[in-house]
Amino acid sequence: MKKLSVLTLIAMVSVALLSCSKDDPVPELDQEVITNVSLTFTEVDENDDIIGSAMEYNASSDEGLGLGGDVVIDDIDGLVSGKRYLLKITAFNGIANEDVTEEIEEEGDHHQFFFVGSAFIGNTSFLEYAYADEDEDGNPIGLMGYVTVNENAGSENGIFNLVLRHDLDKNHEGADNPSWENFVQAGGESDLDIDFDVIF
Amino acid sequence: MIKMFIRVILVLIFAANCLPALSQVKCAFDVKGKVIDQESQEPVEGAYIWIKELEKGAVTNHNGNFHFRDICEGHYELNVEILGYASKNIQLNVHENVNMTIRLESKDYLIDGVEIVGHKDAVNTLNSITHLGKDLLDENRGGNLGETLKALPGVTTFTTGANISKPVIHGMHSNRIMILNNEVRQEGQQWGGEHAPEVDPFMAEDISVIKGAETVRFGSEAMGGVILVTPPKLPVAAGTSGTATLVGGSNGWNGAAAFSFEGGLKDLEGFGYRIQASSRIGGNIKSPAYYQDNTGMKELNFSGAVGYNSKKLGMELFYSRFATTIGILSDSHTGNSSDLEELIANGRPFSNPDFTYHIENPRQEVTHQLLKAKGHYHLNNDGVINLTYAFQQNNRQEFDIRRGELNDRAALDLELFTNTLDINYEHPSSKNWNGSIGISALQQANNNIPGTGVTPLIPNYDMVNLGAFMIEKYTKGPLELEGGARFDYRYVDAARYNQGELDEQDFTFQNFTAFLGAGYSLNKNWLLTTNLGSAWRPPNINEQFSQGLHHGAAAVEIGDPNLVSEQALKWVNTVNYSSEKLNAELTGYYHKINNYIYLNPTGEEYVSLRGTFNVFEYLQTDAGFWGIDLTTDYTILPSLEWFIKGSLIRAKNLTDQNYLPFIPTDRLETGLVYQADKIGKLELSHLSVAKQRREPDVDLAPAPPGYNLWTARISRDLLVKEKSSLKGSLGITNIFNTEYKDYMNRFRYFTHEMGRNFTLRLKYEF
Repeated sequence: MKKLSVLTLIAMVSVALLSCSKDDPVPELDQEVITNVSLTFTEVDENDDIIGSAMEYNASSDEGLGLGGDVVIDDIDGLVSGKRYLLKITAFNGIANEDVTEEIEEEGDHHQFFFVGSAFIGNTSFLEYAYADEDEDGNPIGLMGYVTVNENAGSENGIFNLVLRHDLDKNHEGADNPSWENFVQAGGESDLDIDFDVIF
Repeated sequence: MIKMFIRVILVLIFAANCLPALSQVKCAFDVKGKVIDQESQEPVEGAYIWIKELEKGAVTNHNGNFHFRDICEGHYELNVEILGYASKNIQLNVHENVNMTIRLESKDYLIDGVEIVGHKDAVNTLNSITHLGKDLLDENRGGNLGETLKALPGVTTFTTGANISKPVIHGMHSNRIMILNNEVRQEGQQWGGEHAPEVDPFMAEDISVIKGAETVRFGSEAMGGVILVTPPKLPVAAGTSGTATLVGGSNGWNGAAAFSFEGGLKDLEGFGYRIQASSRIGGNIKSPAYYQDNTGMKELNFSGAVGYNSKKLGMELFYSRFATTIGILSDSHTGNSSDLEELIANGRPFSNPDFTYHIENPRQEVTHQLLKAKGHYHLNNDGVINLTYAFQQNNRQEFDIRRGELNDRAALDLELFTNTLDINYEHPSSKNWNGSIGISALQQANNNIPGTGVTPLIPNYDMVNLGAFMIEKYTKGPLELEGGARFDYRYVDAARYNQGELDEQDFTFQNFTAFLGAGYSLNKNWLLTTNLGSAWRPPNINEQFSQGLHHGAAAVEIGDPNLVSEQALKWVNTVNYSSEKLNAELTGYYHKINNYIYLNPTGEEYVSLRGTFNVFEYLQTDAGFWGIDLTTDYTILPSLEWFIKGSLIRAKNLTDQNYLPFIPTDRLETGLVYQADKIGKLELSHLSVAKQRREPDVDLAPAPPGYNLWTARISRDLLVKEKSSLKGSLGITNIFNTEYKDYMNRFRYFTHEMGRNFTLRLKYEF
């Protein structure tokens, strides 16, 4: 009896030992990451018709959220006081080669851009944003909108803080304001939080 | 502890008796014997043997053996008693050395008016050990392991929100304590603060906590203490019995149901089986002012065991499966450090949800399976060989809030396989010596299941740990001494992709540990024990390899592959006083850990397109912990008891002379227990927890203020029949719906603890 049980155990142990050792690791392409963001400003007239050529400003981070990457953010230096621009935002994941803009559009009801920082908020603010797109519930997303530059702008530079919120409550009071400072109160988390310098 | 105490008293009585009247006759005979169970032939430990005429007593050891020395020639009557067996009187004629076998018949019905208070410690150690027996467990059924253990002084919890709680012994948790689930060391992903032990407390009949270092007996992670979750023994006789438990709670409208059924076969004596299952479900937890979003949970566990016990051989096969889904407070997943700062400044979640059972992302899905085969064999020389083999499979999936179909893909998907084999030999107990030698082997493989779309936090690895130990115990009169030593060898082979490059590293660790313990009984009231044990812990895989963003904490954590093993020394002393009216136990300890591994804020910020994150790195320092635990129980009236339980702990980084984070705060609980036949048992208690004034230099927010909580409960028998009984209890925790935060909750920065909760428990035994 004893011999038998010991043998059984040894057999069980060896089977189990064989069945589990570590696998070779597989590199993962980070899916949730945004490595490139571009802002495209195109001047428009009062009827929202395009009258200028497009100006593109980029922010990029080759490693996404991985350590050791470089974050490069362009200065927004082509805006002119008193003018109005169509602003289109695109986002791209260079690690997994994915167009994140499309994903944001598809899940528009879970995403919203906010435009904050000293360029939009406070005594010395000189930009004003208006949403020009909406999700399936009629709430704004912010992939497309209009930026108006104050006529008196140019004396001071400012920060264009672009924030993308994910999984927020879009019906929260104040959430329809693109330059709502307290966007965290609507819940959710930030997918993007980039400071562009605006210089004249 | 109690058993040893009685044994020591009996030995004392024995020593004091010099019997002058009989000194003329020959008085040098040995009376030895073994007490066994008539049916299973298993040795019976803790049976009291009493020689009436001589007023001498002895208690059987774990092999069922007892021994009287220097017995005079003559006729005596011997009485053998132990709870659960019919007592027996035996005529004893001593004309030569006697060696007898006493067979006891088990008595499996309840004795009227007698409450079973006897307890066999799960481990025979001189280390400070406290336990939650069947009654206390029944009173706390329905919670997870951490919550359940909070009833013991010196044991607190480290929590992540309302549903994840890890037990803390004297300030140590995660990889610094060991959990033995049905005698097998639990191997899950214990390293994470938000990774709760995958153990079903419904399975246990007893949960014991050893507060000293038990590295020698159990291996490295037992440096801070050991938690033993022990199911009831399998039946060995024919017949069936079972229990059914229902628990309902008003906060989170949580419910639990558990069932267990066991029996033996008439045709196959010594054979026994048990099946057991339990399930828990809960919805959003309510703090006094708001519901916590996405804090529901679901759990389904089951286990089965078969065993066979004969005179020489015992065998058992056990399988259990644990599966849980836990919702994580949605607000806790912040995008970056400024989100987190805003949330902390708000002091409570921004969300304001309604009640729901629905669980969304972020959530955890964890399954844990255990297969155990165990055998023991009694050798002819009275020694015992024990062999335990266990296989464990742990699968942990963590889901984050992501975009599109990625929501259905786990962001962390780990599978951990563990094989353990333990063999030990208990040598036959000789005059004063008891002991065992053993070897233990552990083999483990950890795999990241590909396809998460997230760079894994920890690498794939293989690990082998081999250990050999020896423990010896010496008992003489009121004194017990115990010592042991162990050698361990560990090999770890890890592989991962780091910034696109394959990175393979291997490590070896080896260590020698030893302990020395003593127990001394001053008289029938006082008992002193002391234990000094060395311990070690190799750095854990996350401490070596973390490199990147920890989403739940909005922090970048950086590991260090060059970390060395922690080396520790823990000294635990206990003074125990017991008399008819008063039972008191005071435990004091000092725990020094060299090369203590901790997560240190660097003060730097990591900048990304998602915003900035605080950067933390794993460092080593020397740490000192000391503290005391106190329990007293005073009988004011036969029906009224007053108890006090308290603990305090001090911990310091000895190199930098500052304080360590997440050290439990001072706490004191006091209460009254009133018992009367007509009403049942009434309890009222008050818990006071102080503010942590010894805070680390850097923290996200200051420690929350202290708090006071009131708890009440009534429990009674609702139905008692010969073969079955129904017990019920109704309790209220946080009676005044106090809004408070606990320092040991990782989510304390932005959530309050659970508000008032009514709990109804019903237990049917048949």
